[in-house]
Amino acid sequence: MRPILLSGHTRALTQVKYSKDGDIIFSVSKDQIICAWYAANGERLGTYHGHQGALWTVDVDPTTTLLASGAADNTIRLWDVKTGKLLKTWDFGTAIKRVEFSPDGTQLLGVTERRQGHLSTIVVYDIVLDVEAEQADEHSLRIVCEDSKATVAGFSYGSKYIISGHEDGSVTQWDAKTGELLDSAQIQEDDMQITDLQWSSDRTYFITASKDKTAKLVAANDLRVLKTYVADTPLNSAAITPVKDYVILGGGQAAMDVTTTSARQGKFEARFYHKIFEEEIGRVRGHFGPLNYVAVDPQGKSYASGGEDGYVRLHHFDRGYFDFLYEVEREAEQANL
Amino acid sequence: MSKVAGRTDWAEEEDEDSLALPPPQITKNKDGTETIVSYRIDENGKKVKTTRRIRKTVMKQVVNPRVAERKHWSKFGEEKGKPVGPQSDTTSIAENIVFRPSSNWKTNQSEEKNPIDKQKATLKDAKIKCRICSGEHWTSKCPFKDTMAPEGENAGAGAGTGAEEESAAPGLGPSNSSYVPPHLRGKSGVTGERMGGGKFGQERDDLATLRVTNVSEFAEEQDLRDMFTRFGHVTRVFLAKDRETGRAKGFAFVSYADRTDAARACEKMDGYGFHHLILRVEFAKKPTT
Repeated sequence: MRPILLSGHTRALTQVKYSKDGDIIFSVSKDQIICAWYAANGERLGTYHGHQGALWTVDVDPTTTLLASGAADNTIRLWDVKTGKLLKTWDFGTAIKRVEFSPDGTQLLGVTERRQGHLSTIVVYDIVLDVEAEQADEHSLRIVCEDSKATVAGFSYGSKYIISGHEDGSVTQWDAKTGELLDSAQIQEDDMQITDLQWSSDRTYFITASKDKTAKLVAANDLRVLKTYVADTPLNSAAITPVKDYVILGGGQAAMDVTTTSARQGKFEARFYHKIFEEEIGRVRGHFGPLNYVAVDPQGKSYASGGEDGYVRLHHFDRGYFDFLYEVEREAEQANL
Repeated sequence: MSKVAGRTDWAEEEDEDSLALPPPQITKNKDGTETIVSYRIDENGKKVKTTRRIRKTVMKQVVNPRVAERKHWSKFGEEKGKPVGPQSDTTSIAENIVFRPSSNWKTNQSEEKNPIDKQKATLKDAKIKCRICSGEHWTSKCPFKDTMAPEGENAGAGAGTGAEEESAAPGLGPSNSSYVPPHLRGKSGVTGERMGGGKFGQERDDLATLRVTNVSEFAEEQDLRDMFTRFGHVTRVFLAKDRETGRAKGFAFVSYADRTDAARACEKMDGYGFHHLILRVEFAKKPTT
């Protein structure tokens, strides 16, 4: 496996996203620009300019026409994927930590940071999936998180729920239509922030990554913890791979402690766990800073990791990845033949 | 005249050549390959001709029409106007990474881990060996350090046991300290053997040393000393002991100042019942004569 090194950013990466077809990768970094890359060869398609602060998050709609981004300049911006043109700007009182489109692309949620005088909120906008169309100015739904600030959020299957991950290690299930609080569960350790929440391809369950050095697989409808993956370092990101039953965890020593630890001890590796057996099956080295985000190709052919070191490393899986089976899996396969 | 003119032409041509490089030539070969000849000027200002033979294969890939359409989007932003294909300033290929998932990855990893721990473990197991008596203690802690010289030094110079020196073979003694050429060494008996690299315990006062075996494991050095001093002046008693248990391993060496005493002791003590065992006593090294 020869990774492709994407070095278009000058500061730490914050998020990396694949388009639904897995052909374009979007990366955002603290250097205020968004880059789009072809996943096949690592060629940069273009950059999106306009944000005035560190970018925290990016998402692309399922048809790859609109791109949403959230930044520390207190705006969510909507872009034309093809031309890089800015289509819409929504202003807020605080920074935007996470944006995500609904599975059908008609809604966009944003998570706003908590600050003096502002509570953390989740805002939802109705989106018209057309570059020419005028987008709504007002949000269609606003959820205020009073207890603990939300750090991540996403839409479940069929846009039924909004699931948010919080600073105190809990996840909350909201009704995506009314904004009503349906359920809440403390799944990570107390006061250990949930740093990432990524969905399975059918969005019936999701994986959370936490600073408490574990990642958990959680069912969307009842917030039941299905699996736990234990790592030896604080985690920044976790992703579920399609095609093969793996999960990829990324993390590392916190950025502020990096200078005091060696690269070896920093544990800046992508960790692969088997999704079912919860067992670590391998690691991929390469970054020399903590991994801030790992994203998996929805087609399961590659994965990309963005690091604090300012690089995106794009890995196309080779045979060994696809051929690997546990003994029991192999036996089951034999029995089916 | 024409010749001269030709030369100038040739020289001029060469000059022009170094300024303007000929365009790369591409020739199609019969077997389907292409030969590309290209020129460049290297860092020393010399013209370099590169000939590459390549084969082009068309790989067809079926993709979603949406994806195919997006492949032909024109670049924008910072990439605007740049040619098609990955640019070297933003895209590069990293070194190969071997990624083989394995079910027992964790256990394999812990074995490989921590070279320092491994080193410590080997050091822990390493035996301490005294240079004087080969015992399992530091040389400085050796009970014989006052009476014997360390291995490798002149045995005779060891201690105030002059008698030992006299009784020893003529090859030893004062003459030993001077240089002996290699071809003479073989003839000087003990010295020669010494160079031959015998084990330490035997190469010292070997001629007056007895090896005592079948010693009870509860024996103490003092017991042996008491028994053997009856026959003469004993210079050294070494009882091999187990490091962990502190019990005797079953053999000992007893050195006499005088070889005749040793011979007498050997004769008397061989077959002597000590504790519940019968001692076997013999010369540690058979006399060479």
